[in-house]
Amino acid sequence: METGPILRAMTRNKLGVILISLQIAFTMTVVINAFFIINERSRLMARPSGLDEANTFFLTSIGFGENFNGAVTVADDLAMLRQLPGVVDVTVTNAIPVSGSGSNSGVRLVDDESAPAAYAAYYRVDEHAVETMDLDIIAGRNFTTQEIQWRKSGEAIATDQLIISRALASRMFPEREPSAVLGETLYISGLPPHQVIGIVEQLQGPWPTNNNLELSMLQPIHSFDGADTYLLRTAPGERDRLMVEVEEMLVASNGSRIIRNLMSLERTRAESYQVDSAMSTILWVVIVTLVFITCMGIVGLAVFGINRRRKQIGTRRALGATRMQILRHFMVENFLVSGLGVTLGAVLTIGFGIGLTSIFNMPVMAWYYTPLGMLALIVIGQVAVLGPSSGAARTEPAIATRSV
Amino acid sequence: MLKMTDVCKVFRTELVETHALSDFSLTIDEGEFVSITGPSGCGKTTFLNIAGLLETLTSGQYLLDGTDVSTLSDFQRAKLRNQKIGFIFQSFNLMPDLNLFDNIDVPLRYRGMKASERKQRIDQALDSVGLLSRKKHVPSQLSGGQQQRVAIARALVGKPLFLLADEPTGNLDSNTAHGVMDLLHEINADGTTIIMVTHDLELATQSRRNVHILDGRISSPVLTPVDFHRESATVGS
Ligand SMILES: Nc1ncnc2c1ncn2[C@@H]1O[C@H](COP(=O)(O)OP(=O)(O)O)[C@@H](O)[C@H]1O
Ligand SMILES: [Mg+2]
Repeated sequence: METGPILRAMTRNKLGVILISLQIAFTMTVVINAFFIINERSRLMARPSGLDEANTFFLTSIGFGENFNGAVTVADDLAMLRQLPGVVDVTVTNAIPVSGSGSNSGVRLVDDESAPAAYAAYYRVDEHAVETMDLDIIAGRNFTTQEIQWRKSGEAIATDQLIISRALASRMFPEREPSAVLGETLYISGLPPHQVIGIVEQLQGPWPTNNNLELSMLQPIHSFDGADTYLLRTAPGERDRLMVEVEEMLVASNGSRIIRNLMSLERTRAESYQVDSAMSTILWVVIVTLVFITCMGIVGLAVFGINRRRKQIGTRRALGATRMQILRHFMVENFLVSGLGVTLGAVLTIGFGIGLTSIFNMPVMAWYYTPLGMLALIVIGQVAVLGPSSGAARTEPAIATRSV
Repeated sequence: MLKMTDVCKVFRTELVETHALSDFSLTIDEGEFVSITGPSGCGKTTFLNIAGLLETLTSGQYLLDGTDVSTLSDFQRAKLRNQKIGFIFQSFNLMPDLNLFDNIDVPLRYRGMKASERKQRIDQALDSVGLLSRKKHVPSQLSGGQQQRVAIARALVGKPLFLLADEPTGNLDSNTAHGVMDLLHEINADGTTIIMVTHDLELATQSRRNVHILDGRISSPVLTPVDFHRESATVGS
């Protein structure tokens, strides 16, 4: 290998080398950090809600007119929908996971509004919620039919049972096994005391960006306020058909209401994470653009260097260099420039990463990002310089004797 | 050692077909110092390029050291150039970014020689052209004559079968040119075959044999050294 002479020759042409290696370093830093941010985003976006999202949809039935009776309508609707072939289960609910809208409440261990609280999302549902949401009860039990309060307007809330997520259980009782939390009393702002009767493995609250996303609870109550949201889980592959059928059926069954917000959970998720997806797309564009520009720089430097040294290349060929040896010469040259670039880039990346972590509260980047980024840019550089180098390798040796 | 029989070289471009060499036959034996003369454009460089395996021939046969090289692959030709041929160019063709040591190292590295042997050979070659003390210098720090000496050292370092020199003194003033010619004669006296293209007839007369080319053909029967000295005046006119 002729790394030594190539390196010594490069030190006599510092400017181009320095500029390109700085460009490589800068590109590497931005690309690695952008990658990291994209990965963080998709990791956040990939967190499961706990629901069978692919087979779940929801809609809202809004009553109007003198004749509308919420309690009767909801009872009829639920009975009818649960009969439908392809429907696994249905529940009424006040909020939809991942949708971005819902309610939460401070949860305390003592009946004192000034005591510290965990803020947890609540879903007000009936006993079919566990099956509809596809939740795993890891301790305790589901609500019974009798425990559900069908609350007309003006009535006081009189429930006294809760099913809570495992995350909420361990937030409230950090040291305890889920089963040891059963029977404990929790105080929710403005409500009578509630007893934990069940714990589910996972159920996200409705706000994807919330730090307390995993803190949630189910409350066995439904309040009639004119708008009732039904969450439906279907057998695999039946969702789209049932979305159409269910809407038609509900419209036909009762003239005193309209159906709104018919939507699959998958679409809800896509909409809730739209900003994150857009940001990832932008970062991808940045990555591709920067890599492209850097490739152009590498190709430019290589082509310039090769054209400037045509006669030298011819001379090398005359002195016995094979095409392969000429190709390798320029590949090695690029490797050395890239090597300098990625070394600088590693320093920059680590510095930048420390900045991101401390200023924007980003998690610490895993150690392997930097070496993988270095490797990637070296490979990209080698690929970029392959074209110009093979052009150089095709230089005719006779050029050496041509007088210029 | 070098035997060309009916060699033709045709350059084809879109507009013209140039017969740079036609029915060119020439034999050169080991130890000779042959000068190639002729007017500009007659085919001297073309002959040198073919002899040095820098260009392929269009037809005819070329035996180098007994083997037919007309049909070798690019790779094989590169290897042969590296092993058997030393080149000296009119404009020296040193690598401006490499110091003298690294310049002379170029052909040896392509040969894949061990570092210790390379170093020993390079030092010896530099010493033989009187530039050992300047091995860390780059070509631009040297005069033209010195640069050509470096190029000669580079051509010799691989211990080639013969040297091919294309107007080796073309870029030098006459004093320096004489120095370089003296060096080439010394090298020849030590047994290295030299084939030198020149348009300088005075230099040509110093060689033991002259080949004069006109329009891609050898213009007169190849002369013996004795004949040549006698007839050099005619050649010059
Ligand atoms: N690569 C080439 N393409 C086309 N024509 C060429 C090429 N090289 C040489 N020639 C032509 O071949 C003839 C001989 O050229 P050359 O051998 O360089 O002459 P000399 O060295 O004697 O001056 C000239 O007419 C020249 O123009
Ligand atoms: Mg010429």
